[in-house]
Amino acid sequence: MSCKDVKPQDLGKKTSEPLCTVEKLMPLPPPYDKPGMEPDFRPLKDSWKEDYCATLDGFIGVDTLKRPKTKEEEEEMIKKFLSGVDKLLSEDTNRSWIQPLMISFEYCAKCNTCSEACHIFKSSGEMEIYRPIFRSEAFRKIVTKYKKGNSFLAKFMGGDIDINIETVLRLGELAYRCNLCRRCAQTCPLGLDNGLMAKEIRKIFSMEMGIAPKPLHESGTMKQLKTGSSTGITKDAFLDLIEFLEDDIEEYTGKRYKIPIDKKGADILLIHNAGEFMAWPQNPMAFAILFEEAGLNWTMCSDDFIGYDNVNYGIWYDDVQARRIGVAQKKAAQKLGVKRIVVGECGHSHRAYMISTDRMVAPEDNIPVESCFPLMLEILKSGSIRIDPSRNNFPVTLHDPCNYVRSMGIVKPQREILKMIAPKFREMTPNGVHNYCCGGGGGFAIMNSFNFEDFRNKISSRMKFHQIVEAFQDTIEDKSIPKYVCAPCSNCKGALRDILEFYDATEKFNVHYDGLVELILNAMPFEKPFLHFLRDEEDEF
Amino acid sequence: MVFLTIFTYVALIGFVVLSAYKAYQYAKMPMHSRFELYPVPKEAGGIGDEERYHYGGSFYEEYEWHKKPRKVSHLSEIIDMLKEMLFIKILFVNNQRQWWLCYAMHLGFYVLFAWTACSFLGAVGQLVGFTVNATTGGWGTILYYITFLLGISGAILVAVGSIGMVLKRKKDAVLRKYTNPQDYFNLLFIFAVAVSGLVVWVTDPFFNYGREIFKALLTFSPIEPSIANETALAVHIVLLGLLLLYIPMTKMSHYVGKYFVFHEVIWSNDPNLKGTKTGEKVRKALQYKPKRTWSAPHISVDPRSDEAK
Repeated sequence: MSCKDVKPQDLGKKTSEPLCTVEKLMPLPPPYDKPGMEPDFRPLKDSWKEDYCATLDGFIGVDTLKRPKTKEEEEEMIKKFLSGVDKLLSEDTNRSWIQPLMISFEYCAKCNTCSEACHIFKSSGEMEIYRPIFRSEAFRKIVTKYKKGNSFLAKFMGGDIDINIETVLRLGELAYRCNLCRRCAQTCPLGLDNGLMAKEIRKIFSMEMGIAPKPLHESGTMKQLKTGSSTGITKDAFLDLIEFLEDDIEEYTGKRYKIPIDKKGADILLIHNAGEFMAWPQNPMAFAILFEEAGLNWTMCSDDFIGYDNVNYGIWYDDVQARRIGVAQKKAAQKLGVKRIVVGECGHSHRAYMISTDRMVAPEDNIPVESCFPLMLEILKSGSIRIDPSRNNFPVTLHDPCNYVRSMGIVKPQREILKMIAPKFREMTPNGVHNYCCGGGGGFAIMNSFNFEDFRNKISSRMKFHQIVEAFQDTIEDKSIPKYVCAPCSNCKGALRDILEFYDATEKFNVHYDGLVELILNAMPFEKPFLHFLRDEEDEF
Repeated sequence: MVFLTIFTYVALIGFVVLSAYKAYQYAKMPMHSRFELYPVPKEAGGIGDEERYHYGGSFYEEYEWHKKPRKVSHLSEIIDMLKEMLFIKILFVNNQRQWWLCYAMHLGFYVLFAWTACSFLGAVGQLVGFTVNATTGGWGTILYYITFLLGISGAILVAVGSIGMVLKRKKDAVLRKYTNPQDYFNLLFIFAVAVSGLVVWVTDPFFNYGREIFKALLTFSPIEPSIANETALAVHIVLLGLLLLYIPMTKMSHYVGKYFVFHEVIWSNDPNLKGTKTGEKVRKALQYKPKRTWSAPHISVDPRSDEAK
């Protein structure tokens, strides 16, 4: 069967081969239009096929979704799945989402407008299973069949699907083929949201069946709840890291700053994605220099219960975990008595703190939370720091993280800053609230099991890479000119790091990435450049 | 025919009651997590000259937003709503190929609402002694011709739009795949009502039957049209009545759902602050204790609890 002929009903088909595989990916712009410019997919190992669900598209994203070994296990898994369906559709057990879910569940007119908006569908060469309504429609069919059985009415209403183990396994994988970017919802004439449907399906698997990708659950929210951070950084390790940062800052600026920790009653509590300390320490370092130079009354928090890690992976797959983390983070801030929280350059935590967990605590316990971007703009506008934009005299483009742009409306501050500090700034197309996801959204940036990385680099991040290459078309092949993708979000940076490496764009074309605060620092008149690709060996710190 | 009078009452009241019940079901659902999606048309103010609703900005762009008054433009929200209600703007912008037929059908509905209002006015006029016909001139004649124009254009638009969408869904391989039997049935049902109305129109080209029906309804008397083909009219009234009763029970009631999705979900971005209505609603919502719980092992034991440790 050709991939184009696959229907939502086929999720229940018993096959040993994938329902749909990549035939022709969306072409990339020059110089990536030539053969040999991108690595091929890695072959699927037989052992993976035996133990996991490789029968959707040949990728395995959910490393805990194991094939049952016996008939009894199969039945038990289906039973649990259906019990999860019941709970998802219940006001009692899915209180926080029942209204948006039911509207999206009930009203789809199947006009297919959403497909054109989806970067995964378009990048894959329009693979049927990645069509946003494919997943939602399959789920509607499952629910209709489950609720109305084999009756004429069920078939009349679209409940024409088998609910068997393949249906359940494939749906579990399919829930992780959506970045939850919500671009499709912007184009829906009825305002319905296929991203929400994908997230709600993930909840059945996690909250009822205990199945979620390890990087999100076991080494994500569980580790964060146990140790304080999904990176595993404990309070002591965090304090050590801060000392290292102070040393680095001294080496770079020549000044010894004391990074304020647990300062009671500070005006601002700055919270970072703890991944920054490990992978991109220059980011918290840049924030510290900027805030100190601007003379802000700020602090960071070392509270054991996740006061120093702003991530909340729960918002992608599990309401209970999201609530536990969100409430604990807000309590940590409250304990410190700060006046406001400022979220650093992390997209999903912007949304987690300011939107997703906004209604999880009583109003008096809800300390106001702000984005770092209006604050950084305020600092620059105040003139409290000196800026020399000519230090950033290379092409810069901006990636808009979906979480705080499309889902929160923070669009202009970062652009205003770039206008002040980057003379060669150019937009991607499309941009702002109509941007494309980096391909790492919804947890994909940290999911690397089996061959899932290939799915991300070649399919879900493909549209973003396309946009980057397009934005730098005038200089892409001139290796002497550095090009900078400003991606003020930890997860987006993770996805960009991977695609630039995968497509060898840094090595071949001098394309780099990092956040916005690093670019501000680079424009500040310190002796050495702050951005690593502008430094020579003796400038290293 | 007394049956038709009673049935029409039942259908009209049923449509309103069932639609209201649908709205009530959504309205009584618990407060949900915030889930706004930008652009939000009420967002006013902004950095530079451009208003936030143009580019999709929000109050979160403001430094210390929580200390500043919200800038909201209800006018912009109303304009956006009207564009969507009157022109199905989002579909036009994102999927013009689908828009033409879809809009034809919906425009037909609007025109037929206007026809209904004109027929009602004509009936009231006739009952109080005005003449509504082609020859006497004045407002009665204007209303007579307007009713005619609205009736014929509305019926044709609905018929063409509905059957056009059926054919398009049959012809297009992707749409066909995602269309259930009920989706076809819904469109064909609408088409049948429009065609049955056109059949009546053949014997009553100026839609006198509309006024006759309203006169019967207003005077609680049997529907006994003087001109129209009685059987055709009876079929039309029954089909239309059944459609009115059926719509609120299906996804065709999206006139209800659309209100909630826009106003309660994607445009609803009021933050949970002390001293606000939203804050009070949140406080109340947090008091709820679920009767059941989810079953995964990590749900029952908080990893931070002593039990877990």
